[in-house]
Amino acid sequence: MTLLEFALHNVRQRPARNLLTVMAVALGVAAAVALTGIAWGFEASWQKANDARGTDLIVTRLASTNAMPSPFRAEPLQGELRGYPKVRDVVGLLSEMLGVEAGAPPLFVFGWTHGSYLWRHLKLADGRWPAHTDEPAVVIGVVAAGLLAKKVGDTLEIEGRRMPVVGVFESTAAIENGAVLMTLTQAQQTTDKPGKVNVLNVMLDADATDADVNAIKARIRERAPGFVAITSGELVGQNTVVRIAKAMSNATTLIAALVGILIVFNTMLMSVNERTREIGILLALGWHRRTVIQLVCGEAALLTLAGGIAGVLVGVGLTLQLEHLDLLRGKIDANFPLSFLLTMPLLAMLVGTIGGLYPALKASRLTPAHALRQE
Amino acid sequence: MSTTPIFRAERLTLHFDAGRTRALDGIDLEVAEGEFVATVGASGCGKSSLLNLIGALDAPTAGERYFRGQPYSVMLDLADFRRRHVGFVFQSFHLIPTLGVLDNVLVPTIGTPGRSAVHRARALELLERLGLADRLQHFPATLSGGERQRAAIARALINKPDLLLADEPTGSLDSANAAQVLDLISDIRRERGLTVVMVTHDAGVSAHADRLVPMRDGKVAAP
Repeated sequence: MTLLEFALHNVRQRPARNLLTVMAVALGVAAAVALTGIAWGFEASWQKANDARGTDLIVTRLASTNAMPSPFRAEPLQGELRGYPKVRDVVGLLSEMLGVEAGAPPLFVFGWTHGSYLWRHLKLADGRWPAHTDEPAVVIGVVAAGLLAKKVGDTLEIEGRRMPVVGVFESTAAIENGAVLMTLTQAQQTTDKPGKVNVLNVMLDADATDADVNAIKARIRERAPGFVAITSGELVGQNTVVRIAKAMSNATTLIAALVGILIVFNTMLMSVNERTREIGILLALGWHRRTVIQLVCGEAALLTLAGGIAGVLVGVGLTLQLEHLDLLRGKIDANFPLSFLLTMPLLAMLVGTIGGLYPALKASRLTPAHALRQE
Repeated sequence: MSTTPIFRAERLTLHFDAGRTRALDGIDLEVAEGEFVATVGASGCGKSSLLNLIGALDAPTAGERYFRGQPYSVMLDLADFRRRHVGFVFQSFHLIPTLGVLDNVLVPTIGTPGRSAVHRARALELLERLGLADRLQHFPATLSGGERQRAAIARALINKPDLLLADEPTGSLDSANAAQVLDLISDIRRERGLTVVMVTHDAGVSAHADRLVPMRDGKVAAP
């Protein structure tokens, strides 16, 4: 019989209490996994959308960390950027989260420069694209079409304007599949922001180097005070919603870890108190104090490992269900890197070991003769 | 036989409750290699306390203990001393109730060097020797008192101790089982050259022991 087998055996001896401990740890881990998956997924969705469009640099307001950067006048900055070396194209983008149709959850509404490279990655599933920049029409992502129960030929009411749905599209980015898309001109009219954009998307020549990118960034800092050129990853990273989501997931993970430590501490302290004489027997039989510590901490680690594995499964399942809620459909693309999923049970084990440490030390400090006299 | 005693106690004293209870009061004792010593006396005279001190289960208030001439006070690892040199047999068996007989016997080997297959083979040999080969997976609650004590003896012997300390090993057994357990301990002592120190009330033990050490009020009494 090995120490691990003995620890497993002991864990199985108090099934009700240990099952409750495992469930409590699993709930904490599930909450941490779900929130982290959503936070990372939200970040990854934006990143993916920006990458799919083929944008190399995004020019936006320097201090803008909102979910969508604050709108600004596209000109004259857009025209100046077009004259920079290695810049192939500069197009404006306006985006808002808007209520679309009464009773439906709010959706992202994008306005993109008509005919620009931004549209190229989209695949038309039905209908057609807007014919020209002044056409008051929308195309909707496949997820948005499902959510709104709309098809080509129907109309959508956005900010008091009723606009025909002329097409349904698919994108590789979940966030775009859940969005409504129109030309930039129409978006500016609809949101009453004529001439304004949230960001300017810059596409560089294929042979642009990192040095070229850095030169463009430096030139914008110098020539356009208050503006900054950043990569899509940098933009997403400083997004307030992403940062809040990440902070919440970190806080949840920390709280779950602390609660887990307390739960395991309580469980193992009860277990050690009930097994005082048994521990005395082990010490009398020549067990080292460190072996007793390893046993108690091992039992705690096994409990939390089971909780961690169960929590990961529940957390992933929960998030996949949340993705299908109307409020979140098309807005997040939950992201669970394998390394993260493997780390969580190990983190849970660490939590268990920490929680079991004091009870283990208490058990190991027993005097064998004294422990053997306990009832 | 070596001239150095396997165990020696000098002025061994053990007090409880800040000195209000004197369990042992200046005991001097020598136990020779291979000797079978039976400590006898009334309840509360300090027999079990002495056994606990010999087995390093407790620390004396004063005095010194020696194992083959080496003072206990200089031993860095008393757990290692217990594991390598001492086997315990208790009156109430102290088997782990949730483990089967074989696993109970293997408990002292957990966390020790050596291959588990070797430990298992030794446990099986001991259980065969003690007549428990058909009880390997039985839990203590399903065994008779005699079987439980034999399982406890097997457990005490698994690490090949030099010193077998038995605290009232027949105290919970009927006379037939008690006699069988005493015979077994005697036989195994002869087979393996064990030194045995036994605390007992059992009158039948004098037939097996080389020497009786009578105790009274925490002291070795005159025979």
